[in-house]
Amino acid sequence: MNRLEALRNAVGELLDKVEGVIALRNKSGHVAPHLFREREELNGLGLSPKYPLPATLRLIQNEYPEAKLGIVCRGCEERGLIEMAKRNQVELGNVTVIGLACTADEAEECRCAKPYPSVLVDAHVGERTEPVPDRVAEELRQKEVAERLSFWRSQFDKCIKCYACRNACPQCFCPECTLEEELWVERGRVPPPFPSFHLIRAMHTAGKCVGCRECELSCPAHIPMTALYALIRQEMGEMFGYEPGVDLEDQPPLVLPMEVEI
Amino acid sequence: MYEPKIIAYACTYCSYPGADLAGTSRIKYSPNVNIIRVLCSGRVSAELILRTFREGADGVLVLGCHFGDCHFINGNHRTAKRVPILQRILEFSGIEPERLRLEWISASEGERFAHVVDEFTDTVQQLPPMRQVLG
Ligand code: SF4
Ligand code: SF4
Repeated sequence: MNRLEALRNAVGELLDKVEGVIALRNKSGHVAPHLFREREELNGLGLSPKYPLPATLRLIQNEYPEAKLGIVCRGCEERGLIEMAKRNQVELGNVTVIGLACTADEAEECRCAKPYPSVLVDAHVGERTEPVPDRVAEELRQKEVAERLSFWRSQFDKCIKCYACRNACPQCFCPECTLEEELWVERGRVPPPFPSFHLIRAMHTAGKCVGCRECELSCPAHIPMTALYALIRQEMGEMFGYEPGVDLEDQPPLVLPMEVEI
Repeated sequence: MYEPKIIAYACTYCSYPGADLAGTSRIKYSPNVNIIRVLCSGRVSAELILRTFREGADGVLVLGCHFGDCHFINGNHRTAKRVPILQRILEFSGIEPERLRLEWISASEGERFAHVVDEFTDTVQQLPPMRQVLG
């Protein structure tokens, strides 16, 4: 049985127990998020390319907080859900998760550190594949500071300030965004001056970024921004022992006071 | 050797009076520093620091109360976590992290204020001017 059929079966079974299952549906040659409610709809079930479904769950729960729902989650989406739940963006009590493991090719495309879900999952689809190291981030770590500057200047200079990175990010849910504040990111200046937009975004995703790469995959300028975020994630792991998206109970360090003896 | 421009954000409850004490005690310190008073070191956001660099500061000092002395109880705890993260972001994006420093200075530490400012000025002077870096 291939992955799509297995997923179709899993969603079909879950439909008996919940009011709807959030998954992807094929539509005019693309996929789009869809709330499946009837088994008959399952012919249209889609798999890829991936799309951040937790953001769709958040939208639906805003309107229907009591609804019993299912959701299909890849590894990155599960990590995203965990961080969103900690910040009260989704409520997991009424949610059943169908885990979908990514193929080796998909994991490669995303340089994914954990291409399968394992924490919130009630049903598994697909075979686990190996994590893929982030080579772009590792190369960057080896460079001298001046080399990094020329690397990022040439990358960030390509930015057309379309905000696709922010809009695609499941962790970017603030109703007001600092990236639209005239004081920090002036309107009408493209590319945004350095250092502003990109480093502010790195700061604001620190401790939240789960390395799903939605931002990078949506960027029309192909800026490998998640390499910067990956390095920050590693550093924060060392500084605060915190890894986003791993554990529902771990509290994000930036919202807590320091543990100090006074 | 160039004269670096240094901006020090000093909290109004501890570090600013500390700087004041350095002045009233006639302690000499580097004239490269420009002090900006803020309500709390926790108010100094990453956005503010980045904009300060963008406006041509060669170094940014963030000065706050020692742990336990913060007027807002744990405003300085936020600073203590935020600054090291921003230092890493600077480092990985190609700006020397030494350009940003966090120090705790109480209202009675005028000498320490002068010492921190002098030492920081020396450190920043070893680095190329920010205007040159940002081109
Ligand atoms: S998606 Fe890419 S081009 Fe668009 S604002 Fe983000 S970094 Fe810039
Ligand atoms: S990889 Fe990009 S889209 Fe995903 S959580 Fe991190 S910043 Fe957001």
